Amino acid sequence: MTAGFRSALFYQDPKAALAWLEKAFGFELTMLLEDAEGNVAHSQMSFGNGYVMIGQEWSADHKSPKSVGGKNTQTVNIQIETDIDAHFERAKAAGAVIVAAPETQFYGDRTYRCSDPEGHIWTVSQTVQAVSREEAEAASGLKITGWL
Amino acid sequence: MTSKVYVALRVKAAPERAFAAFVQEIGAWWRPNGLFQTTPRAPGVLAFELGEGGRLTETLESGKVFEIGRISAWEPPSRLVFSWRQANFPPDLHTEVEVRFEAVGEGETRVSVEHRGFDQVPAGSAARHGFPDEALLMRLAEWWRGLLTSYRDTSA
Repeated sequence: MTAGFRSALFYQDPKAALAWLEKAFGFELTMLLEDAEGNVAHSQMSFGNGYVMIGQEWSADHKSPKSVGGKNTQTVNIQIETDIDAHFERAKAAGAVIVAAPETQFYGDRTYRCSDPEGHIWTVSQTVQAVSREEAEAASGLKITGWL
Repeated sequence: MTSKVYVALRVKAAPERAFAAFVQEIGAWWRPNGLFQTTPRAPGVLAFELGEGGRLTETLESGKVFEIGRISAWEPPSRLVFSWRQANFPPDLHTEVEVRFEAVGEGETRVSVEHRGFDQVPAGSAARHGFPDEALLMRLAEWWRGLLTSYRDTSA
């Protein structure tokens, strides 16, 4: 396997999460291990060239937001190539709770944020315009390094 | 309930072609794995006898034919189920493999394999290599992913 990052997300009901993530975001289940009682031991869902692992709460320190008052300590960003507004409508129809509706950002991406049935917040982005570093700095008032 | 190992990927072929490649060209895309030896001999060549009740066989170099399993559901181009047993399984243990072919996107097929019941390989069996369930199922999933990747790149 090639080097890189991937995220694991924990759910009280990981099987429901697998179904919901396919319905809302179009992720595809690419691996699932279930024990003899039907519990999810491991799973992977793919989108584009990335994947996330969906699992149970497996220790006192691996919790769903639903178990900790809705708090998130990190979010997963989904990068898409076309029609973010249709993506937003699909997620909303699947029951996503909208945190922020689609809006074009100063850096040239159109983004929205939503939370899934257990409170994981997802950010969805599509690049809709080419913005130079100077333009982004002027629009935001930030000093930007590492702009490619 | 039994344990399940599921893996899936997309191939750039219609379901008809994907199904045919799976059953007719298994001898070309199959990749044996030392952890899941079908027989104690050197790996042979796999082949399906097409149709319900057909055997999945492995023909060894000696010419001897080992029966890995039999087809219990034959529904081209969408579904195939066959039994799976290795020579080192206890006599009464049969695991089951279900393969599904689902049209997606433009001319693509999502091919999934679900291998059920492998946790029933008893503790102490040579087929288990001392692995606890989760490690055994993970190795099985990784092998099937490798097999499907080979199938995609070789045949489908």
